[in-house]
Amino acid sequence: MRSAMNNASSPAEENIPLIQVLGLTHAYDNGTGPIVVLREVNLGIQRGEMVAIMGPSGSGKSTLLSILGLLMIPTAGSYTVLGRDVLKFDRSSQASFRRTYVGFVFQRCNLIDTCSVYENLEFPLIYAGVKRSERPARIQDALARVNMSHRLHHRANQLSGGEQQRVAISRALVNNPLIVLADEPTGQLDRMHGELVMDHFEQIMSDGDKAVLIVTHDAQVASRCTRVCLLEDGALKSH
Amino acid sequence: MPRKSIFFDILRISIHQVIMQRRRYLGVILAVALGTSGFIAIITMGRDVKRTLNRDLDLLGGATLIRAYLDAGHKYSKTQQFQPETIEALRAMPGIEAVSAIVSKPSSHASVQRCNVDFHVVGADGSFWDVNSFVPVKGSFFTAEDVSHKRRVCVLGTKLALKIFGDADPVGRMCWIENEQYRVTGVLGGVAVGDLVDFGFIPITTAKEYIPGLLPPQKLYIRCTSWDDVKKVADAIPDVVHRLQLTDSLRIEVKWEELKRVKSMAWWVELFVYFSTVATLILGGFGIWNGMMATVTTRKAEIGLKKAIGAEDRDILAQFLVEAVCLSFTSALLGGVIGRGALEIGSYLLKSRPQDTLFFTCVGLALLFSLVLGAGAGFYPSLRASHMEVVNAIRDE
Repeated sequence: MRSAMNNASSPAEENIPLIQVLGLTHAYDNGTGPIVVLREVNLGIQRGEMVAIMGPSGSGKSTLLSILGLLMIPTAGSYTVLGRDVLKFDRSSQASFRRTYVGFVFQRCNLIDTCSVYENLEFPLIYAGVKRSERPARIQDALARVNMSHRLHHRANQLSGGEQQRVAISRALVNNPLIVLADEPTGQLDRMHGELVMDHFEQIMSDGDKAVLIVTHDAQVASRCTRVCLLEDGALKSH
Repeated sequence: MPRKSIFFDILRISIHQVIMQRRRYLGVILAVALGTSGFIAIITMGRDVKRTLNRDLDLLGGATLIRAYLDAGHKYSKTQQFQPETIEALRAMPGIEAVSAIVSKPSSHASVQRCNVDFHVVGADGSFWDVNSFVPVKGSFFTAEDVSHKRRVCVLGTKLALKIFGDADPVGRMCWIENEQYRVTGVLGGVAVGDLVDFGFIPITTAKEYIPGLLPPQKLYIRCTSWDDVKKVADAIPDVVHRLQLTDSLRIEVKWEELKRVKSMAWWVELFVYFSTVATLILGGFGIWNGMMATVTTRKAEIGLKKAIGAEDRDILAQFLVEAVCLSFTSALLGGVIGRGALEIGSYLLKSRPQDTLFFTCVGLALLFSLVLGAGAGFYPSLRASHMEVVNAIRDE
């Protein structure tokens, strides 16, 4: 899978959307009947784009993000990354896809409290099979991009909310993924820290090779993205 | 391109997690450690405990005491006796703790001042008392040194002492036996003594020197190490004796009924102890299982996160399995330390010390068993963690 989906894009790949979603539908049964969360969603995202997905609570934003990160499989539709149908992957390939191509930033940061900042950033590198000798430099580099180098050996629960979110961003970037998926990354931050986080995302975009998808309720966050998609009642209304 | 092996990283992560959550696991660790230390103590000290127990039980029945004698009723028996090399060969036999040979004279004469008494005198060696599990009611018994130096010392049965000295304490006093003066070192009595309360005992070497008309050594008292040895020793004695001397009147006397009862009682005690140990270890296993199930439930968010950042099912399985094994291995190590402490205390109390190689073999076995226990008890919780759906796990905080 890794050889077929290489980070370095060939000329032919340049025209292929990084992410292509067609007719994506997701429903589940809660016992009283099927509940449709996503309805026929079509979405294409190119490298270098920072897309905001907005919509009211329960509109399916987080579900869409989970499907794009292969955390869950949709009921129907297709999802390709660089032209490859990733929905056909088995569990092992899904894990490989996540550690190679996707960086997640969660609303609650999801750092492991009992581990240090270094250890939290080391986990993605361990699962990606990065040599131990290479890890410190990559971790330092990822932390430096969010100005958190000085907190390298602090425990995660010793950091403020803003600092935790910046560490979570650097954890998402440490494997240099093509796709960054952020679920309300500024939801628990004050305005100033929210702006800082968005600065970091813009910095990530600066090389023009990656795509960032941000689920947000915040219009100010959305205004800093290159495109805004509105999700209502599971359907993509505008993009 | 296949991913590099991350086993050592997973091992490091697991050890870190066990250390971080040590308070949660404390009860489980103690349970497994106690079970392991019990196992180590039973295996290493079992034989010594059994030896002490059978010695104590013998006060009531003498189940591990074998009497070998040359039948006095036989036509050639008066000229027959146990040869020194036969006695030495019996002492060297496996399963025999001690052998004591005696000589005797049925009618001897003792006196103190105006009191004259006829009694049965026995010449015994220094191990006679231990072999028969005798304890003095007053003073002390003569020793192997007294025997080797042919000292004129004696031990009197309680009834004989009463006849000679009346109510006065005989210990340290002098009496005449067959016209030679002897110092009384102690008085023999108690439940197991039987009709020996009428007997007088002097060192076997002294008896051979000073007592005329003494019968040769025709009776041996053989103490087995434990009741498990009695049958094989009783079966082997005739072969050893007949190989070294000519005799046709050897008789072996074993208290089979007492032996059967003691073995039956000991079997129940052993069963109870083994059952308790196994029960503790099984409970420890359930403890690990239960602790790991609780861990998996409370760490759902961590599992989800790790999967989201690229951990495969087998990575999660390996991490929790290694955590469970670390837990049981640590417990077994602690059990080894506690077991060592129990062994030191047991050695002090029993006044005997098992071989260190046996102890370390037991610790090795316990560590091996702990690996199986940890892997067995931790497998299902680990499997459950590895099969957890990512999105459900990661939303759980």
